Amino acid sequence: MSTTTTSHHDAHGHDDHGHPTGLMRWVKSTNHKDIGTMYLWFSFTMFLFAGALAMLIRLELFQPGLQFVRPEVFNQLTTLHGLIMIFGAIMPAFVGFANWQVPLMIGAPDMAFPRLNNMSFWLLIPAAILLLASFFVPGGAAAGGWTMYPPLSVQGGMSIDMSIFALHILGVSSIVGSINIITTIFNMRAPGMTLMKMPMFVWTWLITAYLLIAAMPVLAGALTMLITDRHFGTHFFNAAGGGDPVLFQHVFWFFGHPEVYIMILPAFGILSTIIPTFARKPLFGYASMVYATAAIAVLSFVVWAHHMFTTGMPVAGQLFFMYSTMLISVPTGVKVFNWLATMWKGSMTFETPMLFAVAVVFLFTIGGFSGLVCAILPVDIQLQDTYYVVAHFHYVLFSGAAMSIMGGVYYWIPKWTGHMYDETLGKWHFWLTTIAFNVTFFPMHFTGLAGMPRRIPDYSQQFAEFNMISSLGAFALGLSQLLFLYVVIKCIRGGAKATNQVWEGAHGLEWTVPSPAPFHTFETPPLVK
Amino acid sequence: MLISNTNTDLDPISYRVTFKPNCALTANQKKKVVLLLTVIPCFIAIGFAVIGLWLILPFMGLEIAALGFAFYYVNNHESDYESISIAGDSLVVERGGKQGVSQHELNPYWVKVVRRELPNGELRLSLLSHGKQIEVGRYLTRKQREALADQLQKRTGAFKQH
Repeated sequence: MSTTTTSHHDAHGHDDHGHPTGLMRWVKSTNHKDIGTMYLWFSFTMFLFAGALAMLIRLELFQPGLQFVRPEVFNQLTTLHGLIMIFGAIMPAFVGFANWQVPLMIGAPDMAFPRLNNMSFWLLIPAAILLLASFFVPGGAAAGGWTMYPPLSVQGGMSIDMSIFALHILGVSSIVGSINIITTIFNMRAPGMTLMKMPMFVWTWLITAYLLIAAMPVLAGALTMLITDRHFGTHFFNAAGGGDPVLFQHVFWFFGHPEVYIMILPAFGILSTIIPTFARKPLFGYASMVYATAAIAVLSFVVWAHHMFTTGMPVAGQLFFMYSTMLISVPTGVKVFNWLATMWKGSMTFETPMLFAVAVVFLFTIGGFSGLVCAILPVDIQLQDTYYVVAHFHYVLFSGAAMSIMGGVYYWIPKWTGHMYDETLGKWHFWLTTIAFNVTFFPMHFTGLAGMPRRIPDYSQQFAEFNMISSLGAFALGLSQLLFLYVVIKCIRGGAKATNQVWEGAHGLEWTVPSPAPFHTFETPPLVK
Repeated sequence: MLISNTNTDLDPISYRVTFKPNCALTANQKKKVVLLLTVIPCFIAIGFAVIGLWLILPFMGLEIAALGFAFYYVNNHESDYESISIAGDSLVVERGGKQGVSQHELNPYWVKVVRRELPNGELRLSLLSHGKQIEVGRYLTRKQREALADQLQKRTGAFKQH
């Protein structure tokens, strides 16, 4: 007999990688699933921390007057809440999804550069420590807003340097991660998986990674110029030396607006995955979705100055940025239309991921419309730096990005853990989150329209009722995220066994592997037809 | 991925198969992708440098260099291959690429084809002879590995025709 068939038990080849265990499994991991898990836990930890800062903000704003924190501490809370939510919670969560799902969705065994992937994750830790530790240095944490505008950022204390260094580190992590994702998607797709057969989540991440590549060096340059202004006698932005503080705003928002889409495009990818599954229909207008995503990415580079209409610019410039901003609603509208068309006459069921997806479509559209309101130049001059803007970007970033992340976790957690989550508790989490979110942020439209400025710890008596409602909503919103933590931990520890397919209407390569997904998958590429 | 098979029929005189790893883009396509990806970032960095914000340029340059190197590194492994050839009393497993070429020569009369099922449904294939075990078919899908195992089985050990 010249051939033998052996089982895995009695044969151990040199390439038979054992499943690593213990702490070092995580520290030294080059496995995309482990690294994805670490990203998700890191982002959830940061989400809870930045959420706790938001609770303190709302506690202070519960009533007019100064009750709990001094004004400078209040400014530190708003600054660090923004910085940590954006760079510590939302972005790493989407990178976690990318790590888990992109290789599984394109039939690749891992990311193209697994060791770099490990490095990308572990860079987050010193950056997070720097940001958190900045609360304890003389003068406290950065207090000039997450945008770090000069002159405050030129004049501030040591915490500004710590924040700049933290953002540099986070930038390196993002760029390395983006290069890894781009290389993986372009080179490691399974045979037969052409670009136009890729799942929408992969497409949105490819375009997001490209946005990161194009935008991150601009932030890095701006921050470096800021630090040379602070310590090396340059005057890029220092008006005292002939520099231009408004120039920093232009450079910052040249990065900052693509950054907004960096935080929302992967959310669009998650929606485009969840909605067809529970509508039991293919995604309506796949090609138009791809082109709309690309159009949004390109347009995101020519709208930056709508963040700074009140700084003064030529009328031609104001008109250009007003119209280009409005133009973004066209590809975004294509997406919303396609999601609705996907649901139209679908055989829909409303499990927790679908509830989140439907809510995101509805609430994100509200955020999109309030964005259109802000895009209208004469209106924006009234609304600039009021709570209307706070309401707008929370409708985009919480009900758009964060709730998509929650929906995505419910959607894929059976594949990650091998267990079904508790559907009843999941629905409780959804309803509590959605109601509390709207109670918190919808009244802010009114406080903003009435003229309440953002980033102040005290306010006029006329805003008291709406602020009290917002604070009550915020406390409920914060507490309901502990329920999310409980549901996730319960699912990891046990629950009904998940099948390979998990969801009846799910399609894609990730559903062809067992649940939980084995440590190594697609070591030989599958054939996509 | 199987790229060539000179003789899939039973032929004791000559048998040679060559495999290459899966790579979704050709070298030319990679070059085009890198060029496409770098146009807008270069335009942005040069634009900022022209108005005096030159510090963005070195960051963008570093990043584009890193992206280019990543694609170059992947491309370097595109030429990797594995071939198995049998001619008379010699079975040669050859692995090569830009890093060099390595060869293992076995006697086909003494070779066992070992199929090993992994718990995740993978099938691993190796050639065993005189205590030496060489994994083959690393770039193949499961079905292709099964076909390769069948072909090698007919040409090795007691099954080898004289």
